[in-house]
Amino acid sequence: MNQIATPAVARRGFLTGALATGGGLMIGTAVPVSGRAATVTTKAVTTSAVNAFVVIGSDDSITILSSGAEMGQGVLSSMPQILAEELMVDWTRVKTAPAPSGAQYLNPVTHSQSTGGSNNMRSWFKPLLKIGAAAREMLVRAAATSWGVTVDKCTVANGVITNTAVTPNVSLSYGAVAAAAALLPVPQSPTLLSATTGYRLIGKPILRPDIPSKVNGSAIFGIDVRIPGMVYAAIKNAPLAGSTVKSVGAAPSGSQAVNLGDSVAVTGANTWAAFQNARSISVQWTPPAGTLLNTSAAIDTKLVSLIASGPAAVGEKVGDLAAAMAGAKQTVSMTYDLPYLAHACMEVLNATANVTATSCEVWAPTQGADLNLYTAMALTGLTADKITIHPTLLGGGLGRKFEQDFVAQAIKASQALGKPVHLTWSREEDFGHDLYRPVQKSKVTVGLDAGGNILGWNNRIAAPSVLQTHFPKYVVNGLDTAALAGATGLFYKMNARLVDYAMLNANVPVGFWRSVGESANVFVIESAIDEVAAAAGKDPLAYRQAMITDSCALAVLNAAATAAGWGTKPAAGHARGIAVYYGFGSYVAQVVEIAQATATTIKVVRVCCAIDCGQVVNPDTLIAQMQGGIVHGLSAAMWGQVTFANGAASVRNFNNYPLVRMPQMPKVDVQIVNTPGAPIGGAGEAGVPAVAPALANAYFALTGTRLRKLPLLLAPAPRYDD
Amino acid sequence: MATSTLTLNVNGTTRTVTVDPNTPLLWVLRDTLGLTGTKYGCGIEACGACTVLVDGGAEKSCDMSVTEAVGRKITTIEGLSPTSTHPVQVAWIAKQVPQCGYCQSGMILAVSELLKSNPKPTDAQIDSAINNLCVCGTYQRVREAIHFIAGN
Repeated sequence: MNQIATPAVARRGFLTGALATGGGLMIGTAVPVSGRAATVTTKAVTTSAVNAFVVIGSDDSITILSSGAEMGQGVLSSMPQILAEELMVDWTRVKTAPAPSGAQYLNPVTHSQSTGGSNNMRSWFKPLLKIGAAAREMLVRAAATSWGVTVDKCTVANGVITNTAVTPNVSLSYGAVAAAAALLPVPQSPTLLSATTGYRLIGKPILRPDIPSKVNGSAIFGIDVRIPGMVYAAIKNAPLAGSTVKSVGAAPSGSQAVNLGDSVAVTGANTWAAFQNARSISVQWTPPAGTLLNTSAAIDTKLVSLIASGPAAVGEKVGDLAAAMAGAKQTVSMTYDLPYLAHACMEVLNATANVTATSCEVWAPTQGADLNLYTAMALTGLTADKITIHPTLLGGGLGRKFEQDFVAQAIKASQALGKPVHLTWSREEDFGHDLYRPVQKSKVTVGLDAGGNILGWNNRIAAPSVLQTHFPKYVVNGLDTAALAGATGLFYKMNARLVDYAMLNANVPVGFWRSVGESANVFVIESAIDEVAAAAGKDPLAYRQAMITDSCALAVLNAAATAAGWGTKPAAGHARGIAVYYGFGSYVAQVVEIAQATATTIKVVRVCCAIDCGQVVNPDTLIAQMQGGIVHGLSAAMWGQVTFANGAASVRNFNNYPLVRMPQMPKVDVQIVNTPGAPIGGAGEAGVPAVAPALANAYFALTGTRLRKLPLLLAPAPRYDD
Repeated sequence: MATSTLTLNVNGTTRTVTVDPNTPLLWVLRDTLGLTGTKYGCGIEACGACTVLVDGGAEKSCDMSVTEAVGRKITTIEGLSPTSTHPVQVAWIAKQVPQCGYCQSGMILAVSELLKSNPKPTDAQIDSAINNLCVCGTYQRVREAIHFIAGN
């Protein structure tokens, strides 16, 4: 259990300090956020780190750290909620805070402190119960020792330990024994009270403790970090990805420019002045050598050839496809087309760094605190014990804030200037220098028998590889398994199948985007299944019911269909489409109902969603994630696309990247389908992928026209001004 | 860069700042006065994250110069209620509206203005009045929370 920090394991920072001294650190400094935290220091209170995740104050304040990056999905609440279950504390008294980078916080499954792929809850559920139980047992043991009784004479509830060996009973609060408890050995096999009593907190729609700070302006995002002596800086990225700085012109009056090798940081009296200075400074660039594939039309042509023929890496091969196709009574073939997408987080990229000869501190809205640590080590040459990464709240992450570019820039600028630097990207830089969700074409060929059964299924996927640019060691023989996510192991009855992948090597930076490979592949598969159903003359729901082999998939499918009134006639001018998939450990089905708005446009009226993610921690947060995921998927399906002309992105701000706003918001109904005993599944990504195919399928039901290219552009772009 | 010394009324307090008079109000609030609850999203009045109340009306502060704000009453999210108990804030917690929360300062101020002029808005009136961008997609809860306040 290396995730339960013992004093010997705890690396540095306030945890070690508190453990070494048995308390004595101020609450304000225990909240690793920003300068503002120091202003809430309560003087007479000492805190003790009972383990790496639990800090208890002598005033009975309880802070539970979350190792997950909080970007809206509620992990700053839901991970502590699991721990609090076994800690036996009153949830309304719990404060939560992001954990700094540290070995104690590495995900026990992924061995990383990065948040992505809906991994936190899935990996941490059982360890957090144990960590909470271990902390509780240490507190109880400390109390029992002070009373001179055995622990079996103690009961515990709401952060109070009661000695039942004496009459009348006497009690001690957690705060009273925390300092002593912090010195005890950490139990390695603590008893889980919830195993016998059932869950007290888990599964309840408890209020998120981060939300009050988000309604009064006190929440600290990366962009809000203010460090004494810091300078404001902005970034000028190379117009063409992969370029290096040839020369930097004179810095505008009163500013300093720093050549970062691949970009230039420019200071200013405030962020706005820094933006102006970064725009106006003249920089000469050396573009990358060779012929570049970075114009959309040429990329499209290349994708067309990649899906038509040529070598491809096999992702899944079952049975004899050629024989199956030869025996088919009917063959249907479809090509689907997906664009590059921007992340468009509400909070632009930013980071604050303070590098000295002997130390480095970084504050960043990051999905990868461990990756930031490695970046800082590589850039500064300092060892890990001299570096502290303070993850802040994220104003959206969506996969973009897992990247290291913006953090590296702040570190390098601080090194060069010899002072703390708060570096912010303008919105134009943020859109124009994204690592985009990959473009993709998929050609699906399906052979059917006379009854509409699938004899052969062939899906050729052509797309750039995110793994190739980020983790090339995971690409084996040209196969990017992330690009195939959601495209293999389908739960439909199929005899022979072949899913293969042809890598596109283009010069447009690509990265992970909320719901990763499934964001593209579920559109392809659930559109294709709908087309196959139509070719077989079957109702889309009935066909899926007949062909799905997985009872959990069927359960969410039926739940969403029933909620949407599938089988009843929609209102005049309305139609419904359905999609279902399994991903991130969860089953999700969605029915989208649309209405004809004008001769050429539609309105999305309602989305009925059913999710089975196994054990639910906070049902209200789960519902929020489905609501938000649906909006994310809907914006992308309707309007999302970035095109490139000689490497220049078509999108630079929200005025030409339409996203759903209040008037476009459909009514969303979410049902939670529970499979007793099922392992916990993910939620953050899970709501996104099914929207696009369900919408395109609804459009087919409405008009008889099949749309295979995203974005669908079926409604006017939302107005963005007032 | 020439600077001017200007006097502002922010959250009921007189504040004196010495800045480039062309600086947008947003950045004076955030970087000069430390009121970081008001957020930067786009800089072109396209997202609403920077919304503040100017003489009670919701305005985007990213494209309003600090000079234009002189002599007017500026209310930021920090000044909406001294105890964070404005009905919109209470409803936002009750309905657990925010996700990442980045856009919510602007959203809350825009809603507070709507409810002042129209205490019982219909869905159509909400759609027409509230155009703040929320990439997390909290719109349904924003709507529910408005109806909760209105007692609809």
